[in-house]
Amino acid sequence: MSTVAIAVTGAGWSTTYQDLGRQDAERLGVPTGGAADQYSAAVANLLVGNPRGAPLLESLGGGLAVVPDADVLVAVTGADSRVTVGGAAVPTWSPVLVPKGCELRVHELRRGVRSYLAVHGRVDAARFLGSAAPDPRMGFGQVLGPGSEVRVRTVSRGWSYGHFGQPLLRLPLPGFRPGALDRPVDVVPTHGAGAASGIRELVADSLYTVTVRSDHVGLRLDGPVKHPDDDTEIVSHGVPIGALEIPHADELIVLGRYRTLTAGYPIIGVAARACLPVLGQAGPGRRLRFRWVDRETAVRRSAEQEAALRALESATSDAFAALGLPGPCRPTE
Amino acid sequence: MTELAAVIVEPFGDSAVMVTVPGDGPGVRRAAIRRLRDRLLARRPHGVLDVVSGMESLLVEFDPLRTAPEHIAYAVELLAEVGAGAAAPGRPAHRFTIPVVFDDVTGPDLAEVGAELGLAPADVVAAITGSTFTVALLAAAMAPMMDGLSVPRPVRRRAEPRTDVPPGAIMIAGTSAIIQPFPGPSGWRVVGETPHTIVDITRDEPVSFAPGDTVRFVPVDRARAARLRGGFLLPEGAAP
Repeated sequence: MSTVAIAVTGAGWSTTYQDLGRQDAERLGVPTGGAADQYSAAVANLLVGNPRGAPLLESLGGGLAVVPDADVLVAVTGADSRVTVGGAAVPTWSPVLVPKGCELRVHELRRGVRSYLAVHGRVDAARFLGSAAPDPRMGFGQVLGPGSEVRVRTVSRGWSYGHFGQPLLRLPLPGFRPGALDRPVDVVPTHGAGAASGIRELVADSLYTVTVRSDHVGLRLDGPVKHPDDDTEIVSHGVPIGALEIPHADELIVLGRYRTLTAGYPIIGVAARACLPVLGQAGPGRRLRFRWVDRETAVRRSAEQEAALRALESATSDAFAALGLPGPCRPTE
Repeated sequence: MTELAAVIVEPFGDSAVMVTVPGDGPGVRRAAIRRLRDRLLARRPHGVLDVVSGMESLLVEFDPLRTAPEHIAYAVELLAEVGAGAAAPGRPAHRFTIPVVFDDVTGPDLAEVGAELGLAPADVVAAITGSTFTVALLAAAMAPMMDGLSVPRPVRRRAEPRTDVPPGAIMIAGTSAIIQPFPGPSGWRVVGETPHTIVDITRDEPVSFAPGDTVRFVPVDRARAARLRGGFLLPEGAAP
């Protein structure tokens, strides 16, 4: 076990420590937070033999660059992007070795807005209520910039990268790419869908564009909406991540992982859990379509996604055990 | 009949249910929902990930691959039937007196709220300072959400949420009030500002209030507010 220092040489629009979010914090009014694209974050960690929820780096908009002071095993997932190590292109969604002193760089993003960089070992990140996920609103920024150093405790040593660009390991990688999904986002209707007549048909038939006013609290979408027929105030209540909300203004809001408790606006539906990573990769200008599905269909898709993650988890665990390294089932301590 | 027996549990998306309790008047419903939340957190049915408190409801988030809305509903109904003695004892309620600057700058929505209620801005301030609030829950970023605003009718939210409300802002909506702990967006009406620090994440206990505590707002001028600025909010009788 040794500590590797990874120098951040480029941070793009914004780079932070991240994980899958805090548990049991909602009762304190602290949102779960965590990676906007939970799927890509989980896969990045699994590919380097870490537990799914281990701390990693989330970077917005491309331009992330790092240089380790010892060989490290990393994986970059998330947005569709070009990634180089020492100037040579390397595969994304795959374990990759970054030799000591070489720069790993995430170049322009093609589809999607967030990249995830996981490093084999334990990333040493500050925690608030048990999680490394930033909560910028509460002054827990976790921001990394050029000059920052990421420290990782790792046992990874002595990897050699194939001379002909062979992948290190052949793992059963699921084909789902949240940044590049073209089909509509599945939405499960809620009672509020009846509050404005015709809203279901309208949402199913329209195209919505993510505006620049979107953030980690919610995506604000340009597109047609209808307002409730009566305007009784709604008593503040909790809202699930992915809730489709109609504020008094002419826009549609899809709530994100940092949503506040109380919308007070009608909720017409909730995006399926399996589609939340797609919303996490949707940046300004991205066009979205929605499709109404029943709960069973939504849960089935979630189960398929989970099965794919488990297959990857199990294969990585076997591969890492064969190499004598800790795998996802045995977190590095 | 046992208390809380008649809970309503409705699916909300593919991995949450909304729990509400019928009852005569918001006070009864809100107290019942607080008791149910404590029981749920203490017993934590299988597959439950988190519980989000609303004013008169609970959003129970679960893993749909480990449980189903029907199982959650059954567990919630069983918990609702448990006697009141099962609730975890909390600490005794604290009382807070919170200084607030009410003017055009700190309360940009005072005039509009007044127009909506048919009151002068000064009467809106009098309604707020004349009310005794009870902390119902910790809302966004640990903000105290309080019940008990005494106004002729519930106050509407803004048509378009403000994107940057400053920390310390006193806000109202419906018959509730809330204090903004950190800068951020809100659709509530901004009516004043306290110089106190409401949440400090560097402290072991980032907040000094809890559900059940009572709050009164007292008007102060800017000079007095300047002297109090940055002090951590503490209940009456607490050593600073």
